[in-house]
Order: sequence, then structure tokens, then C-alpha cells
Amino acid sequence: MKRSLAILLTLLALFSAAHAESCRTFFAMDTVMTLRAEEASDDLLADCEAEVLRLEALLSATDPDSEISRLNRTGKAVLSRDTFGLLQFARDMGKRTGGALDVTLYPVVRAWGFTTGQTRVPGEAELELLLQRVDYRQITLHADGTAQLPEGVMVDLGSIAKGYASDAIADRLRQAGVQSALIDLGGNLYCLGTKADGSDWRVGIRSPLGDGHCAALSVQNCAVVTSGNYERSFTAADGTRYGHIFDPGTGCPVEGDLLSATVIGQEGALCDALSTALFVMGSTRATEYLACQSEVEAILLCEDGRILASAGLRETLRPMGEFEAWEIQWIEAE
Amino acid sequence: MIRKRLTTRLWILILAAAFIALSAAALALRHAAPQHAVAVVYLDGERLRAIDLSEEAATWQFTVEQDGMTNRIEVRPGGIRIAEANCPDQTCVRQGWLEGGVTPIVCLPHRLVIRPESDTGEAPLDAVAG
Repeated sequence: MKRSLAILLTLLALFSAAHAESCRTFFAMDTVMTLRAEEASDDLLADCEAEVLRLEALLSATDPDSEISRLNRTGKAVLSRDTFGLLQFARDMGKRTGGALDVTLYPVVRAWGFTTGQTRVPGEAELELLLQRVDYRQITLHADGTAQLPEGVMVDLGSIAKGYASDAIADRLRQAGVQSALIDLGGNLYCLGTKADGSDWRVGIRSPLGDGHCAALSVQNCAVVTSGNYERSFTAADGTRYGHIFDPGTGCPVEGDLLSATVIGQEGALCDALSTALFVMGSTRATEYLACQSEVEAILLCEDGRILASAGLRETLRPMGEFEAWEIQWIEAE
Repeated sequence: MIRKRLTTRLWILILAAAFIALSAAALALRHAAPQHAVAVVYLDGERLRAIDLSEEAATWQFTVEQDGMTNRIEVRPGGIRIAEANCPDQTCVRQGWLEGGVTPIVCLPHRLVIRPESDTGEAPLDAVAG
């Protein structure tokens, strides 16, 4: 009798437990960020915000007090574990992507005015000079935590910092026992676990052609990051539009055949790095890269109306709106 | 004695079955309830006000002001936008009308966000990458 009553009470408790969702919106890393988590205290989400702000204070290339600014200014600096580790990761990703991701592009990006808001088109001679300073292999990392850059070389970790921050928040939430959370760092997503009801998160991908979404997919426990030159751009006096993702080979905004590159995987930093790198590579190189690895899955939107997507997304990827008519070509692993 | 124990167990089973059936019905009703398009205005992370766009019958405006930073917000049946702002980049004004979807209107310099939500807490998409 007592045992039956206990079972009944447990059942009642389970069914009546309300799913309490906490939400926090804040501004950091030049974007708006939102954290939504089940069974997380307000204090825990405040801790997560503080962690993002701490990382921003270390990694921002535009904050004169950050470690990265100090390194760019002096050419040599002892770094925290976070900054050192991320520089190491950036250098590794430069190698893995054949230089498509190069964090030493900062002098070029500065010359175009994307960091100051005073956008301009630099001349050929100026770009040629600046490109001599661009090469991720020039970053020297010593075992004692010191980083060194040759004169004139500067780094910017903006292409991986938000992904790294999403990993840090996901770790912090997991350690606190949170099993369901959506980390949205300005469209740089980390979907922790599943939704409260156990179903997958339904994530849209922003359309590179205007308002709305180009596709939706169901995911759990992974990061989803999209890069495209539609995000930030400026139009020059002659009417030419210039995007904010640069080709390390030319020092100019990428003029490839991709509209956007979305990467889905376990690590936010890796997805962030690869979404930029694949966009720089263009459809042919990006497809070859994706076929030879198994860490991430990706969706590439091509200017010619094709969607190139990893075969692993076959069951979940659903194009939306005008993109339903686009041809999907699946990238099979070699 | 045995008969009494059996009766008690039967009652517990009936109660448990009734509770599960009621819970399922409540859940189904919650999902079947019509969703209202609600836009929530946040300033510096603080929730200022929520507007049920599906209940709006006319066009009206209000202004959010803080430390000389102003955003004039326009509401119409089913939609909301930032019609005017004294921010330097004007990105929020160029974003136009928020009608459906989950992408918020953001005025980064003024730290103002207009986020679509629904009264049931459910959205067709949970988030948007990009």
C-alpha cells in the first residue's frame, strides 16, 4: 500500500513539475546575445554573461586594454590561458584550411575601415604592402605562454571568439547540471541538449538574400554557425558593395561563388572558424574539404541556386520559401 | 483483508490513469491554443513592454528614450518596426517591419531589442543562425 502510494506521488510530482525557463539578454562582442536555459538560476546566467564579458576583455582587437591589443601594439606579450589557447587554435586552423582562415588579416581589415566604421576602399599599392604582413605562420607561441609577432603583424580573433565563448557557456551550464539551453550569441548558436520536452531544437538559417530564412534543421547538443558577406557590408561611392569577410590571398572582400556557409558540429569555436574558412574557399574547395573530414556537417548556399550539404543532414535539412526550388547536392564523405 | 488491499490498488490505478489522461488533455489543449504574435521591447536587457500584434487594429507609435538616445517605434496590425532613431548607423531602421519569424530588430548603439515571442512560449523556430 505504502509503496503504491509512493509510486503515485512520484508520478504526480513528475507530471506536475513545471518547466522553468530562465532567459537573459545582453550586449557583448558587438552584438546582442540571448541565453535561454531550463532549470537554471538567474545567478547562473549572470555568471555566463560575466564569462562572455571576461573573454571579450581579453580577446577584443578594438579594446586598447585587451591582451590581443597589447600583443598587437608591442609584438610580444605573456598571455592568459584562454588567449594563448585560442591563438594556438587559430594557427592550427590556418594550417588545416590552407590559409583560408587567417587571423593575421587584421591590418587589412583595419585599412578597409571595418573596425572603426570609417569604411573606405584602399588602393592596390597599399593592399600589396599590407598583405606582406598577413600570414598566420608568423605567430610564434612559446611554451612559457608568451606570444610573439613580427613588426607590423597584428591579429584579430573575431572570427572565432563568439564560437569559443559559446563553448565556454555550454561547459559552464553543463557543469551546473543544465541539460537544456539555447545559447544565441548574435546568431552564433549553441543548442545544449534537447528542448525541455526532449525534442530536437528547430533552428533556422538566415536567408542571405533578404528577410526570412532559407532552411531549417533539427539538431541537439551542437553548435550552428553561419557566415556570409550579407551580414555586414558597405557600398562605395561607385556603387560597389563590399562585405566584411576577407580573402587572405587578395586582401579584398571575398568574391567567391557562395552566398553563405553554415557549419554544424560539437565545438562552437571549430564551427565558427570553419564557417568563415569555407566561405573564403568557395564551393569547389569547400566541398573537397568537407568530403575529407568527419568533425562537422555543413550547408553551402551557392550563387547559382544550388545548396551543397553534408550527406549527414539528409534527414533533417528542410529548405524554406524560395529556396525549396533550389537543387540540393549532397556531399558524401570520401 | 485481501479484498480491501485489491480495492485500494484499484483506486490508485484509476486515479493515476485519470491524472495521466487529464495531463495529456491539458498538454494537447495548450498546443492547440491559437498563437498570438507578441513583440517584446527590451532596453539594455530589461523588458520594457510586450505588444500583442495580432490584437492591434490601427497604426500607432511610441518613443523609447534614454540619455538622449531615441527610437521611435511604430506598431501596425501584425507588425512592428523602428521608424526613426538617432543612432549613427540606422541599421535598426533599415531592418524594417518585424512580421513573423524569430529574427529580432536590434539597435546595437542604443542597446534596444524588439524580439518576437508568442503567448504560449512556442515558436515555429527556436533560433536563427546567421
